[in-house]
Amino acid sequence: MSKLLEIALGLVTGIGGFLEAGSLATSAQAGAEFGYQLIWAIALGAICIAFLVEMGGRLAAVSHHPLPDAMRERFGIRFFLVPLVAVALVSFLVLASEIGGVCLALQFTTGVAFRWWALPVSAALWLFLWKGTFGLVEQGASLLGLVTLSFVVGALKLHPALHQVGAALLPSLPTHDPAKYWFMAVSILGASVSPYLFYFYSAGAVEDDWDEGYLGINRVVAGLGMTFGGAVAVAVLVCAALVLHPRGIQVDRYEQVPFLLTEPLGRWGFRLFAASLAVACFGAALEIALLLAYLVAQGFGWRWGENLRPRHAARFALVYTAALLLAGLVIVTGLDPLKLTIFSMALTALSLPVTVMPLLVLMNDPDYLGDRTNGWLSNAAVLCVSVVAAVVALVTIPLQIFGS
Amino acid sequence: MELGREVLDQQVIDARGVPMGKVDGVILELRPGEPARVAGLIMGGTTLLWRIHAGLARWVERRLGGEGHVTRIPWHRVLKIGVDVKVDVEAQASPASHWERWVRDRIIGRIPGA
Amino acid sequence: MSTAREVRLERLLGKLVVDAYGLPFGRIEDVIAEPHGDEYLVTHILIGPNSRLAQLLASAHELPTLRALGLGRRPRIRLVPWSWFDLTDPDRPQLRRSVADDGKA
Repeated sequence: MSKLLEIALGLVTGIGGFLEAGSLATSAQAGAEFGYQLIWAIALGAICIAFLVEMGGRLAAVSHHPLPDAMRERFGIRFFLVPLVAVALVSFLVLASEIGGVCLALQFTTGVAFRWWALPVSAALWLFLWKGTFGLVEQGASLLGLVTLSFVVGALKLHPALHQVGAALLPSLPTHDPAKYWFMAVSILGASVSPYLFYFYSAGAVEDDWDEGYLGINRVVAGLGMTFGGAVAVAVLVCAALVLHPRGIQVDRYEQVPFLLTEPLGRWGFRLFAASLAVACFGAALEIALLLAYLVAQGFGWRWGENLRPRHAARFALVYTAALLLAGLVIVTGLDPLKLTIFSMALTALSLPVTVMPLLVLMNDPDYLGDRTNGWLSNAAVLCVSVVAAVVALVTIPLQIFGS
Repeated sequence: MELGREVLDQQVIDARGVPMGKVDGVILELRPGEPARVAGLIMGGTTLLWRIHAGLARWVERRLGGEGHVTRIPWHRVLKIGVDVKVDVEAQASPASHWERWVRDRIIGRIPGA
Repeated sequence: MSTAREVRLERLLGKLVVDAYGLPFGRIEDVIAEPHGDEYLVTHILIGPNSRLAQLLASAHELPTLRALGLGRRPRIRLVPWSWFDLTDPDRPQLRRSVADDGKA
């Protein structure tokens, strides 16, 4: 495949893959509550995940080890288990949130309550992984994900004051309710800087057999892909800021969210919203389920690979099967998907130092990266964001739970 | 060669290029009056558990009456140590594939389309 | 004639080594083996710091950013010949001799 085509596909993955339950929910809530003010958090999150995704790709291309494999080798089993369990737990909750997102979209279109859709959706996801190849998952989900560009169309139709949007790229202090403001900032960071994104991207680079020749593509895809993806999340925030914020509607019940698109785009807005939600969450769920399988299989040296038939990578297939089943069961309980999503995002931010640090150490190890170790900027940016996000999360999560 | 850094926890690839597991342990043979030698690799069973929590490992071994399904690979069957550890053993024929085969036969293989 | 004994590398790593006086000397970081004909013979043990704090600072030292901030500390690693060790109890490795700080007996 020509390199240009690879870049194009990578960009599509970035755009189509960035928006999922977490970024949708957190961006909508932020826009409804604080107008344009939290756009900087989306920008910061996008920058951080761009760095991390680039690192994951570089690690795979240069060392030919996917991240979980390299982590076990470098740190030994004891210190591998800590990030393994952290990433697995957090990713599992996000997986349940994504399934919840698809179910909500189905509830919006059919009227049948979301919990009854949980197991059918899990089954559909499972079938995709059971029968599909890595290429199908990666490209299919992201091409379909382009429907999320409806938010960009919607946002533009609402005629936002672009200089105000631009000004909000810089951090600002809240005008009211600081505890909620910072909690939302942290949740947005957790939504953008999800470990599953860079762990999955790293595994994908190995599935696609990347080598050092791909380092340029890697940088372009990571940088531009995450930038464009972040722009879609900003579009969601802008829609919320212009539709919900003036009416004082806060997004604390999921039935309020479709208004984001119905106002600028009318009836089509509703359909596009449901489609965007369903597709974005479906794609993310596929990636997370696969990621959980990669984590365990690569960490313990089992046969793995989405391109293999399940019987040739049995334990690998068992992990994603079990994950999808259990995550579906979480939604069957009727747990509010919106609350679950926001909570998972905050938890992701809290766990960032634990999930990010192993990658950071590896990226500075010449045994794995040769002379392609991290520059000071990559290190500093990621370190800063992870530590700050975790500290703020530590403070705001209890406040949010006990204060409201 | 630094055994912990270069051998332990590395991916093991069998004679056919199939991933076989990770090096969970390395066996050193102590001989009185002679230098100790690297005797081989060990994978599976309770090996990993010993590194996580010795007490738990001891308890499990008492329940199982042994180490479980371990694969011992003698050092002379280790062909190359680099990005991974290549060995002259077949995964299919060794205890290393025991759990993979079990899951395939009892669970995954029973689902249509596998 | 006593028979050969088996010792597991992975159970040695991280174990605290005491010197001939029973004082803590350090923790086993790694074991070095050299090729000798067809075989690999164990030649040295790498001993690193024995306190958790020193280990944490050593990890911090790996990240250039933290190093630049002055947060990491290069760990003191000593290469000690294998023959100086008494491994009758692999859980409690002992040095047969007392070793000065520069690694010489």
